[in-house]
Amino acid sequence: MAQHSSYSDPILDCPATETPRPEELIEAAMKWHFSPQTGSPYWLERAKSLPFDPIRDVRTFEDLKLFPNVANELRDVRAEDLIPRGYASLSDLYGVYESGGTTGAPKRVVCMVDWMDRWLAFSQRHLDARGVPRGLNWLALMPDGPHIFGAALREGARRSSGILFTIDMDPRWVKKCIAEGRAEDAGRYAEHLIHQARFLLQTQDAGVLITTPPLLERIAKYDDLVELINRKIKIIQWGGAHMDADTRRLFQTEVFPGIQMQGGYGSTMVLGGSLERTDAGGTDWCIFDPLSPYISFSVVDPATGHPVPYGQRGQVVMNHISKGMLLVNNLERDTAVRVEPPPGQMGDSVADVKPVASFDNQQVIEGVY
Amino acid sequence: MPGHHQVDALGHAGPYRAVHREAVPDVTGACAAELSIVPRLFVQRSLAALRRGVSLPAEARGKALSRAAELFATGNFGGLSAEAYQHCVSRVSGLPLPVVRAAASIIADTARQAQTSAYAALPRGAVTSWSDRATREGAAVWTRRGEVFAVNAAGNHPGVHALWLEALALGYRLAVRPSRKEPFTPYRLVAALHEAGFGTDQIVLLPTDHSVADDIVNQADLALAYGGDDVVAKYANNTRVLTQGPGRSKILLAGADWQDHLDMIVDSVSNEGGTACVNATAVLVHGDPAPVAQAIAERLRALPSLPPEDERARLPVQPVAAARALEQFLLRHAEGTTAWLGKDGVVEELGDGSAALRPAVFQVGRADAPQTGIELGFPCVWVAPWSPSDGIAPLRHSLVVTVVGGDDTLIDSLVQEPTIRNVYVGNHPTYWMRPGVPHDAYLGEFLMKTKAVLSS
Repeated sequence: MAQHSSYSDPILDCPATETPRPEELIEAAMKWHFSPQTGSPYWLERAKSLPFDPIRDVRTFEDLKLFPNVANELRDVRAEDLIPRGYASLSDLYGVYESGGTTGAPKRVVCMVDWMDRWLAFSQRHLDARGVPRGLNWLALMPDGPHIFGAALREGARRSSGILFTIDMDPRWVKKCIAEGRAEDAGRYAEHLIHQARFLLQTQDAGVLITTPPLLERIAKYDDLVELINRKIKIIQWGGAHMDADTRRLFQTEVFPGIQMQGGYGSTMVLGGSLERTDAGGTDWCIFDPLSPYISFSVVDPATGHPVPYGQRGQVVMNHISKGMLLVNNLERDTAVRVEPPPGQMGDSVADVKPVASFDNQQVIEGVY
Repeated sequence: MPGHHQVDALGHAGPYRAVHREAVPDVTGACAAELSIVPRLFVQRSLAALRRGVSLPAEARGKALSRAAELFATGNFGGLSAEAYQHCVSRVSGLPLPVVRAAASIIADTARQAQTSAYAALPRGAVTSWSDRATREGAAVWTRRGEVFAVNAAGNHPGVHALWLEALALGYRLAVRPSRKEPFTPYRLVAALHEAGFGTDQIVLLPTDHSVADDIVNQADLALAYGGDDVVAKYANNTRVLTQGPGRSKILLAGADWQDHLDMIVDSVSNEGGTACVNATAVLVHGDPAPVAQAIAERLRALPSLPPEDERARLPVQPVAAARALEQFLLRHAEGTTAWLGKDGVVEELGDGSAALRPAVFQVGRADAPQTGIELGFPCVWVAPWSPSDGIAPLRHSLVVTVVGGDDTLIDSLVQEPTIRNVYVGNHPTYWMRPGVPHDAYLGEFLMKTKAVLSS
């Protein structure tokens, strides 16, 4: 990438504490990603084969459906070609991250520094709303490496003035074990992770525990770990896999009463996603609101592509629109119940997320991760 | 689905109504009830509670089982009286109401006698406690192989739930996973056992979906699993899991005048609506099988097609689609045989989305025809020729063989054959059963072992 002066845009570069209106974000983003001075080599090239003009024709949430789902192309594209030219240099790049590899070869996305700022501000707003004090240490049993979750945690803990304690986790190995019918190996790996977490819980102060529902279930088998967590942890953040409403209720009433739990639901492909609504109004469901308008969801009937009625289950489509990345109409591997969004949010909120049974002819395996 | 009858899980902390509930359809496909489906974490915690639990002393177990027998027979559980419960089971399982009522009565009887019948398996040389005087000289003491016993139950017939009561009598603590098709019987039984004094750390009812079922089996010390050949094969080399597979019960008419036994034969095929593993699947005839097949067909033809809750109902009822699928399966496999009943099918629609499964009688050409192993959940029998030169090979892998006629050598070889599990000699129906006499070996043979104790 040649050195040049960076371009800026008042909407795309608005402070992380502010939220642009959906239409102004879409308009600014289309200009940015499809103008030769600022767009990425990938999108500029790809636009040539689009049967519409994104700058002219894409103005509303509804218009995003004009785009094809290009997620599969991200398995092969050079990472450099995904970076918009409007950035001055690679120093604006936070990192390149990959999808879980659940449904084939991994897909790659670029995360720019300005996006990481926005995501962390969103995450911090939720922690503040839940009254979680700053300065707590974080203990994460979560994937790092090519997965964006690890990077976000590292940065999040640092910004909230806490130490991040981590354990290595490779979810792809777990999925491979299960795909090959070696569930016992996957189980042993999970036990190996928990064994390491025990040392940290026993010896270190940690107030925030970040992990996946399957690992949390395994942890709950051990009375000593449950006791340590109940004594030390103030909030459990879970994500990376699904948690049904009954399991969530059991955790909150029996296993970890008095500890706040906050779910996250998202995807590397949209560089984040959604967090559990702080006040779900007494429902049993865990409702997820995305970081709108940058990230937005639709819940659709996969046969027609049309939204299902509120309260009905459909397949989740995710969009990401920001200065650093554009990826829309990405049909995810999950189904969810469509929920009415809070005022001002673009697209749907979702609840009761579950994996679909099969996707792109590959068996989807959730595994212990 | 508000307003539906609810079948709760009965977990470590008592009844639990889950957010995730599944419709239990009746024979017309309508929702008869909602069943709470518990997740893996719930199973894990209930199993942990069982593991921490302490069993009642033997005497108290016997008393509580007797009390539970009365409660099961007459009490009100989950909003259902005994009568309403039986009606409900009939409507969802499609079993004729009289069959359900009889099964309920057998479950109560079994509970009443479980303590006695469980100890019928006690080896002659063993005592039941180390404090027995016999141990002063050194003696075998009968002890449990584990503490927690899991049951992955079937829903074809309420009677399957009579079996595991002996495990409770022997001091095991139990996790019962009901069939999602018919959860009412195990719900009622576990609820009655709770009320009778077995704690929620001694027995739990865990309705789960398929993906969690293995967790229950794996987290228990020992388990009992019902299923087809696939389930039997899955656990074939697992000494912790006892399977109850297909029955493939048979009648061998080895020479006697079959006319005298026609009642028994017809009854063996059609009692219990033909839905049990002890119903006769094949009749092997020394001589010409045609008149036997004809006579069975004549008798079975007379059975009426009625809704299952009708007092006169004798045939099982299924949703039309399920019944048609069974029919297709039957007709495909019956190709090349002689039909005496059911040539054009076995489905009689009742007009409300349900259908009675009518009896079928087919004659096959050889004693070892593969059809004789096809066990279907309605009165369906394969009649085959047999001669002494065929030997007992065609009778292998049968839960019950009733043999009429034949010499002592034949009976000897049937009794000695390891894959034949019960042999009834004479005019006894294949479904004959009595507490204290094993149904498929004593459960105690699987649950218990002896160890030497010298305590002087």
